[in-house]
Amino acid sequence: MTILSRAKNIAAPLIFGVVFLALWESVVVGFDLKPYFLAAPSKIVEQFFKNTTRIWEATVVSGTNALVGLIVGTILGIAMSFVLSRFRFLSQLVTPLAISLNAIPIFVLVAVLNNMYSITSEIPRRFMVTLVVYFIVLVNVARGLTQVRSIHVELMRSYAASDLAILRKVRVPNAIPYLFTALKVAAPASVITAFVSEYFGGSQNGLGSRITSNIANSKNAAAWAYVLGACLLGLAFYTVSIILESLTRRGQSK
Amino acid sequence: MSAAANISAVEVFATSKIFNQESDKQVDALLDVNLTIQSGEFVSLIGPSGCGKSTLLRLIANLLEPTQGSIRVNNKTAAQARLDQDYGMAFQQAGLFDWRTVRKNIELPLELKGWDKDKREARAIEMLGLVKLEEFGNMYPWQLSGGMQQRVAIARALAAHPPLLLMDEPFGALDEMTREYMQGELLRICAETSTTVVFVTHSIPEAVYLSNRVVVMSPRPGRILEVIDVNLGSKRNEQTRAADGFFRSITTVREALRGTHAEHVAANAIRGAEDR
Ligand SMILES: Nc1ncnc2c1ncn2[C@@H]1O[C@H](COP(=O)(O)OP(=O)(O)OP(=O)(O)O)[C@@H](O)[C@H]1O
Ligand SMILES: [Mg+2]
Repeated sequence: MTILSRAKNIAAPLIFGVVFLALWESVVVGFDLKPYFLAAPSKIVEQFFKNTTRIWEATVVSGTNALVGLIVGTILGIAMSFVLSRFRFLSQLVTPLAISLNAIPIFVLVAVLNNMYSITSEIPRRFMVTLVVYFIVLVNVARGLTQVRSIHVELMRSYAASDLAILRKVRVPNAIPYLFTALKVAAPASVITAFVSEYFGGSQNGLGSRITSNIANSKNAAAWAYVLGACLLGLAFYTVSIILESLTRRGQSK
Repeated sequence: MSAAANISAVEVFATSKIFNQESDKQVDALLDVNLTIQSGEFVSLIGPSGCGKSTLLRLIANLLEPTQGSIRVNNKTAAQARLDQDYGMAFQQAGLFDWRTVRKNIELPLELKGWDKDKREARAIEMLGLVKLEEFGNMYPWQLSGGMQQRVAIARALAAHPPLLLMDEPFGALDEMTREYMQGELLRICAETSTTVVFVTHSIPEAVYLSNRVVVMSPRPGRILEVIDVNLGSKRNEQTRAADGFFRSITTVREALRGTHAEHVAANAIRGAEDR
């Protein structure tokens, strides 16, 4: 990519964002909308900087939940995908299950889990994130391990390679791009799941609960300030997953 | 291509291959094939699409099991020959591994043979020289042209210096000029390493130019119709492509492919009738 086209790639959404915010601001000011109806971006930014420490604390709580779930879910997902690729019949059972579980908002399970743990426990939320990440990673990595080119398998057999050697030298390298695709999806999903889980009770210390409580108190601008924090957290997770991917992809195509 | 004194590299005895036997998808791919290939020989398989050329090659490679008959490679069972890595294989697609550099691709069969790193590297560099790609060892396959990738695949197939090379339309995806260049290279390499080659192709001139013998197969179920000796000597070059013997052999193979002599006569008779 040339510097020029890269600059274009960054400039276009940036300009769009500035124009959008300007419009938002002018609508709020122009129609004299009340802050409890829609807060102006300038007020939101003001609130954001007034509350940075509290937003940061809440971000750390939600962010830790998301990160723990992301890591545990990824490890478990990878482990299970190896089991599935080894025993194909299992994968025929689990894959449709995983896909359908992904389609329904399973984080409502957190309400049930909250009843099982103490009210201040973060475990139910982390468990939810783990579950969501687990299925995303499992489905993708299992695909990467099994959908190898038949010519590669045939070549390996012509070298009298063992199943283990085929796994190490063909299946695993083939699955690595699939893993990073999964992470690109799972990273933002882990943040979203961490927030949404907070809506179902438990301690009121994360970004999600702060957003709800501020809305309940008609502190619209403050609520939006927390939303801004949430966006930044999601963005941070996504950016890290992209950087990780580009690091491993250095020598590779597509 | 000096044929070493009558040592069989490949022996195929009364071999048949039926896919999906006793189901409604049954395919009789090969029927009673007998073929002996001497060590150092270059033999081409030619025949209509679907006649079982690739199947025969996969049987020799022990990637498939025969339904009937038996196959010996280097005086061993085909299975043992595969375990001993007695052959190298190349396909129509290069089938290189995108995540490995060119050199690492060539080293792969050596890795599986358990060679140590220095020995592997030295051999890979030697092979890169053989296919004239010395400067490309550290590149990735997708940075190379199709013809260069195919040369890497051939280098990989030859890396362990296997006595036998099995090739399934390896030049099928190349343009005519690259193809002729590759044919020359293959003959040079095989002469240098005295490798036996079984070569599947759809091109009659290619089969004739490369081979000591051309095996002509029938439409499915594949049988061997005729085995044609090509007497163009062991030193072949661009002049060979203009030689009378070259064209004569091409005609012989083409007629064998068209079907039996009898059909040829019948076709003439019909043409004669139309003229009247
Ligand atoms: N694994 C398989 N299962 C079922 N049928 C097969 C299988 N492999 C090949 N066949 C069938 O066997 C027949 C011979 O196939 P083969 O690939 O050997 O033909 P071929 O001579 O190499 O053809 P082409 O010139 O098009 O490559 C075909 O009808 C094909 O459909
Ligand atoms: Mg074929």
